[in-house]
Amino acid sequence: MIRKTLCTAMMIGFLAAALPTQAQDAREIVQGAIDNWRGLSSYGEMTMTIHRPSWERSMSMRGWTSGSKKSLIRVTAPKKDAGNGTLMVDNNMWSYAPKVNRVIKVPSSMMGQSWMGSDFSNKDVSRADDIVDQYDHTLLATDEIDGHTVWTIQSIPHEEAAVVWGKEVLEVRDDYVLLEQEFWDQDGVLVKTLKTLEIGKMGGRNIAIRQRMSKVETDDEWTELSVQSMEFDIEISDNTFTRSNLQNPRD
Amino acid sequence: MNQFKMILRLAWRNLWRNHRRTLIMIAAIVIGAWSMIFMTALMRGMVDDMVADGISVLPGHVQIHHPDYRDDPTIANVIAPPSGELLEALGGAEVVAWATRVRVPAVISSERDTRGVTLVGIEPLRERDISFVAGDVVEGEFLTSPDDRGLVIGRKLVEKLETGLGKRVVVMSQDQENEIADRGFRIVGIFESKLAQYEEGFVFAGETVVQKLLGVGDQISEVAILGSDYRNVETLFRSIEAAAGDGVETLPWNEIDSYLGSMLAVMDGFVIVFIVVVFLALSFGLVNTLVMAVFERVREIGLMLALGMTPRSILGQIVTESVLLLIIGLVIGNVAAIATIEPLKDGIDVSIVGEGMEMMGASSVLYPALYLKDIVMANLIVIILGFFASLSPAWRASKYDPIRAITKV
Repeated sequence: MIRKTLCTAMMIGFLAAALPTQAQDAREIVQGAIDNWRGLSSYGEMTMTIHRPSWERSMSMRGWTSGSKKSLIRVTAPKKDAGNGTLMVDNNMWSYAPKVNRVIKVPSSMMGQSWMGSDFSNKDVSRADDIVDQYDHTLLATDEIDGHTVWTIQSIPHEEAAVVWGKEVLEVRDDYVLLEQEFWDQDGVLVKTLKTLEIGKMGGRNIAIRQRMSKVETDDEWTELSVQSMEFDIEISDNTFTRSNLQNPRD
Repeated sequence: MNQFKMILRLAWRNLWRNHRRTLIMIAAIVIGAWSMIFMTALMRGMVDDMVADGISVLPGHVQIHHPDYRDDPTIANVIAPPSGELLEALGGAEVVAWATRVRVPAVISSERDTRGVTLVGIEPLRERDISFVAGDVVEGEFLTSPDDRGLVIGRKLVEKLETGLGKRVVVMSQDQENEIADRGFRIVGIFESKLAQYEEGFVFAGETVVQKLLGVGDQISEVAILGSDYRNVETLFRSIEAAAGDGVETLPWNEIDSYLGSMLAVMDGFVIVFIVVVFLALSFGLVNTLVMAVFERVREIGLMLALGMTPRSILGQIVTESVLLLIIGLVIGNVAAIATIEPLKDGIDVSIVGEGMEMMGASSVLYPALYLKDIVMANLIVIILGFFASLSPAWRASKYDPIRAITKV
């Protein structure tokens, strides 16, 4: 009994000494990157460009977020798509299209499908911060690039996490700007990459203002998200994140 | 008796007097009998296979559901696991095996694809005795217990998802509050099924794991019960229905899968129709041959009548001729049919047209099934209808006026 206790104690001690500081760091970095991108609350205007070999189209939209569980995105241009919106509260997602004048709850069956025709899936959009809790993070490398420290973090999903990826690799700069996010499958093949192409100062902090999601297997297909303006930690009424506001914008 | 012997001898000799005509007629009967029995066996085999597959794939012979489950097979319509009286009935002698399942529509996704499936939470040990999955796992292993965290999926689905044994996939469904419930599963087993739709459409996980995922406690979607014979589930159904009570819906398989049920009923009728149709074609040949035989022998029949043979004996003789013909033909036909079916018992591969068959729910290998009752029925129908068909020429022959008949050129 005593031996067993001792043994356990030693193991805990060992684990505490070896792993956690690093793991904790890595996790904090990931959390920091997400917080930096979103703040306590945020309001932004952005353009999403979907590029395919034979066509390309752009959509302008506005987005509000509050905390980690609420966000609303509304398309403003082109005219054809204006008014389309997506509301996310907790893990639920609703979409609204003015043409049918209906708020539709996005069923679980559609979570894996593409969001507004882009290379982002509904899940990518609605569950961005699952990555903190549902993955184990390890710091792979710390580099100096252009006077900034850049952390490379490998995140492996928990056994039962609702994540299909084998691992994700994140590069985060010391001002918590996410430089790159790679999605690897379980055979160790890179499937898609979210790359930051431009960094700028908006709303008082450095953020990625142009990001591109591209699939590795299909050339010349990507979705780019560029931010025109962004404000952080502003007052946003809870009424913003309601289905009625999704359907009948009040601002 | 003596007279009958004489008639029989006369009939037999008459048959072989024009042996070419007789042989052609026998050949027609042989082919007719052979095709009746052979085709019936094929159809029977196909239907048996479909029903057996259909039952083994999921229904069980009798099932208990929430009354609304069949209209809306979601997690909202669950029932409590069997207890008390029902549990006792399930232990009865009529029940070969039973199992509970949680069965809901779900979405499965890998890194590269997303597909709609039916997620089935099973009790692996009980399920082994009922459905097809356990025996058909070709790679990896079947689940071992209700809280096994693995997932067993079909070969085709693995290909569609571009995943493989030992990899993780995400299964998504809705819980009772319509919230998204999802979870990662590791694929521990891959099964193959004769029917592509099952390989693509069903994934199996431990029952407890699925219940936890969907937040339904120990409630289940269905109880599936296997009896000894799928053609006779009435008594089993009655006893289970009485024990299960009013709150739930208890149904035999032929009402759950009414397509399969009516298929079986239609089949039984169809076999008779088929045999009769084949016989109708055959009977024209038979009647024609006999009429010819009578016409050819008008003078001879007249002579026999003049010598004192009664019209009844004439009638008897011609009918005997045709019955002899039929018997010879049938014996050869039966032997030929059995001889063709025997070597094909292991299955006829019709995979060239297999895809169409699978859409109907039949597999691409046909196993002919020979039933004694089908053989007896085919033979009886041919003999009886043949007898009546030969009555008309025989009747006409017996009605000849002897003098006119003899003098006929």
